[in-house]
Amino acid sequence: MWAYIARRIFSASIVLTLAIFLVFILINEVGDPAASTLGPNAGPEAIADFKAKQGLDRPLMVQFASFLGVGRCVREASPAWSEDDSERGYCGLLQGDFGESFSHNEQVASVIGNRLPRTLLLGIVALVFELLLGLGVGIFAALRRNTLIDTGLMSAAYFGISLPTFVTGPIFLIVFCFLYGWFPLGGYGIDAADHLRHAILPGLTLAIIGAATYARVMRGELVEVLQSDFVRTARAKGLPASRVSMHAIRNALIPIVTMIGMSLPLLVGGAIITEKIFGWPGMGMLAIESIANLDSPVVMGVVVVFAVAVQIGNLIADIAVAALDPRVRLDASG
Amino acid sequence: MTHSTPKTEETPEIASTKTRRQLENLGCLATFVVGVIFLIGFIVLLPERPDGPRYGGAESEPHSGGTFVFQHESNVRTLDPHIAYDELSGMAIRLMFDGLLDYDFESNLVPSIATQMPTVSEDGKVFRFHLRQGVRFHPMPGLPEGRELVAEDVRYSMMRLMSKEVGSPGFPFYSAIEGAPAYHEGETDDVPGIVVIDDYTIEFRLTEPDQTFLNVMAMPFAYPIPRENVEAHGSEVKFHPVGVGPFRFEGWERGVQLTFTRNDHYFRDDRPRPDRMVFLENVTRELASLRFQNGDIDTIHRQSPSDYRFYRDSEAWAPYRVEFPRMSTFGIGMNCEMEPFTNRHIRRAIAFSLDRAGWSRARSGRMLEAGQILPPGMPGHDENLAEAQRFDLDIAREEMRLAGHPDGLDEPVPFWITGQDDTSRQYGELLQADLQQIGIEVDLEFVSFATYLEETGKPNTVPAFFTGWNLDFPDPSNFIDILFHQRAIHEQHSENRAFYRNDEMDAILDRARSMTDREARLDLYRQANAIIANDAPWAFTYYPLSMELWQPYVRGYAPHPVYSEDYRNLWLDLPRQRLARSLAGRGTGVPAAFFALPGWR
Repeated sequence: MWAYIARRIFSASIVLTLAIFLVFILINEVGDPAASTLGPNAGPEAIADFKAKQGLDRPLMVQFASFLGVGRCVREASPAWSEDDSERGYCGLLQGDFGESFSHNEQVASVIGNRLPRTLLLGIVALVFELLLGLGVGIFAALRRNTLIDTGLMSAAYFGISLPTFVTGPIFLIVFCFLYGWFPLGGYGIDAADHLRHAILPGLTLAIIGAATYARVMRGELVEVLQSDFVRTARAKGLPASRVSMHAIRNALIPIVTMIGMSLPLLVGGAIITEKIFGWPGMGMLAIESIANLDSPVVMGVVVVFAVAVQIGNLIADIAVAALDPRVRLDASG
Repeated sequence: MTHSTPKTEETPEIASTKTRRQLENLGCLATFVVGVIFLIGFIVLLPERPDGPRYGGAESEPHSGGTFVFQHESNVRTLDPHIAYDELSGMAIRLMFDGLLDYDFESNLVPSIATQMPTVSEDGKVFRFHLRQGVRFHPMPGLPEGRELVAEDVRYSMMRLMSKEVGSPGFPFYSAIEGAPAYHEGETDDVPGIVVIDDYTIEFRLTEPDQTFLNVMAMPFAYPIPRENVEAHGSEVKFHPVGVGPFRFEGWERGVQLTFTRNDHYFRDDRPRPDRMVFLENVTRELASLRFQNGDIDTIHRQSPSDYRFYRDSEAWAPYRVEFPRMSTFGIGMNCEMEPFTNRHIRRAIAFSLDRAGWSRARSGRMLEAGQILPPGMPGHDENLAEAQRFDLDIAREEMRLAGHPDGLDEPVPFWITGQDDTSRQYGELLQADLQQIGIEVDLEFVSFATYLEETGKPNTVPAFFTGWNLDFPDPSNFIDILFHQRAIHEQHSENRAFYRNDEMDAILDRARSMTDREARLDLYRQANAIIANDAPWAFTYYPLSMELWQPYVRGYAPHPVYSEDYRNLWLDLPRQRLARSLAGRGTGVPAAFFALPGWR
C-alpha cells in the first residue's frame, strides 16, 4: 500500500510539473501582464518599472525557473529578497512561495487562503445536497425498479443532468430570492450562519447536475447488485428484505466513493458560472478575474491548487476503494 | 423459519405484491398530479416584478445617520492612494482621503486642504500652496486621536509616491518636479523641487512650466498620508488606510465588502452625513439590479442591456436616475505609418462613412455620436466644430476618389478588436457594414485587451484597431498630448497608437503647455482638436453614456464629472431607509408581493 502511494506521488509530481509548465507558458505568452495590470493610461516608464520589479523582463525560461524557486529571487516582496545580490536566497514554488499578485497587491497564498474556505463551504453544501438527493433517489428507484416511480425519477434525473447551472441559477435567483424573498439575493454574508444561508441556493444549483448523476449511477449499481448471487442467497435464506437491501446498498456504494473522490477538485476549484451568478467570491471567480487581468501569479496559484486537488482526490478515491473492497489490492503490479 | 412455509401460501403473496405495486403506481400518479398542481399554483401566485422603487422618502432637511450601501462588479485592488489606478479602488479612496486641490461639480479646480489656489511664479515653474490649519488625520496606531496634517506630510507623501520601491504607476505625472527622476532612479535621497517653507506652506518647483501640474496635484496619487501609519504597517499599509477624508476605514472582508464610518472631525464645510458606508465587491450587474429593486442596495451605476431598457423606460424610476456622458472617447485608431492609412483621404473616408446613429440604435441609445476627440463637458470641446467628423456617404466617397480608390480597396484591411463578447462583435459587424459602403472590406481580428495594449504600442504592427481613452484629469492635454503628440511615440508602449506625426500641431501643444492664461490656452487646444478631427488619425465613434440610479431616500447625490461614483456628499432619509433595511434585509421570508402593495411606495 505504501509503495503504491509513493509511486502515485511520484507520477503525480511529474503530471503537476507538466501542468504548471504548460499553464505558465500559456499565461505568459498571451499578452503583457504589465500593460493589463497598470491599465491603458499607464506610460512606458511605469510599464518598464513594473517589469523590472516583477522580473518580467527576463527570458521566459529564467522566469519559470525562478517561479519554481530554482533561480535567484527577483521579487522584492519576497522574504528571500535582499538588496545585496550575494545574499539573495531562492523564492518560489519549491520554497512554498507563490509570489505576489499583480492586481491584488498581496501574496498569492493570502489571496487564495482568503478564497479557498469560501469555495470549500459552497462545495461542501453542494456535495451534501448531491448525496442526500442523489443517493436517496437512486436507492428509492432501484428498490422499486421498473415501476412508474422508477421511470418517473429516472426521467427527472435525466432532466436534471441536462439542466446547466446558467439556466437553473438565474431562475432560482429570480424566483426564490427576488420574487418570493425566501433567500438572500446573492453574495456571501457576514457571519457563519449568514454564510450558510447564502450558500443554500448556489449549493442547490450546483447540486442538481451532480445529484442527478449520483442518482443514475446509484440506481444502476444497486439494480445490478440486487441481481447478484449473494443477494439471491440471502433472500433464499430468508433474510428480511430491509437487511438484504442494506447489504446490497453497501456494495453498490463503492463506485460512489470513487465519484466523491473525483469530485474533490471541483470542491476546491470552485464553480465559475455558479459563483459568478450568485456573486460568491470564491476560487472560481478568482480564476476568471485573474485570467482576465493576466494576473499570472494568481492564475498559477489557482492551477497548482487545482492540480494538487485532482491528484489527491484520485489518490483518496483509490485508497478508499481498496479499503472498502477487499478484492482490490493496490500493491498488485499494474 | 421460512423454509417450512407451505406452498399454498405463495399465491396470496404474489397477489399482495401485485396489489402493492398497483397501489404504488397509484400513489406515484397522485404525487405527480399534486406536484403539477402545486407547480401551477406556484407560478400563478408568483409575485409580480416591482416596476418602481419599493421605498419612498419624505422631503426633509439634510441630516446625519443611516447606512449607505453601494457596489461594484469587480473587487478593490488596494487602498493605498499612491498605488491605486483603477476606478474601483478610486471609489473607496475618495471616501477616505483628500488632496490639496479638488474639483467642484463643474470640473473646476478648487482648494481642498489648501486654503486657496496656489500662487504661481512669473515663469510658471514654482507653485506655492498654503495649507489649512486644523486638518486632522484619522486615528492610527499610536495616535488614537489622529493628528494634524502639516506640510511635511505632503512632502513625505510625494516622496513616497516617487520612490521606485513603492512603484507607483502615477510617478510619470510628477516627473516634471525638479529632481524627481533622479530620486526615482535612486541616485539621490532628496527631491530639491519640493520645499517645505513652514508647517502650513509648501512649494513645488518644476523643470519646465506646466499648467497641468495643478490637475496632477488634484489626482488621488497626490493625496497625503501620514508617515507613522506607513511605518507601523509596512507593506500592509494598503489594508490600513489613514487619510483626512470624510470617512474612516472600518474593515475589509476581502472580495466581499468594505465598510467605512463617518469622520466627525472632517475639515471641509460639506460634512459627511451617513453613519456608515458599505461597499459591496463582486456583485454582478444583474445581481446588483435585482438587489437594487429589492431595496437592499442604494445605488447602481452599470446595467445589463435589458436592465438598462427597463430603467430607461420606467416612469417610476425617472426622478431617481440620470444619464450622462462619461469622460471618455471611443473610436477606430488607424496607424498613419501603415498602408493604406498613410493616405489621409482614406482615413477621412472611413471617418465619414460611419453611421454613428445606427451604432447608437444598435446599442439602445447608450452613447452619444462622436466627431472629435474631446467629449462634451471637457474644456475645449467645440459644439460647432466645422471639421467634426460625421456620417456623410457623399463626402466619404469623394474622399475615396481623392485617395485614388474610387471603387474601394482591393485588399481587405485587418481591424483589431478586443473582447469576444456580443458587444464587440456587434461593433465589428457595424463597422464591416459601414465600410462596405465605400468599398473597404474589413477583416476583423479579435484579440485580448492585453495583446491589444502590447501590440498597438509598437510601430508598424497593427494597421487599425478599436480604441478609446478615459480621462485622468479634466484637461484637454490629457487627451490630445497623450494620444497624438509625437512625444508619445516609442519603440514599445506608445500611447500615440495611431503613430500620428504633425509638427505644426505639436508646436501648438508645446505652446499651450506652459500658458497660464486659461482662455488663450483653451483656444490652442481648440485648434489642435480641429486639426485632429480633420486629419482623422482616429475615426471617432461614440462617447459612452452612463446611467446611474438611486433610491428615493438617497438625497443630495449627483454624479461627479471627474470622479466616478463619488458618494461623499449624499445624505439619507433615515426612518424610511431603516424600515427598508429591516424589512427587505437578507432573506426575511416575506414574499416580495407584500412590499409591492401600494402603501409601501
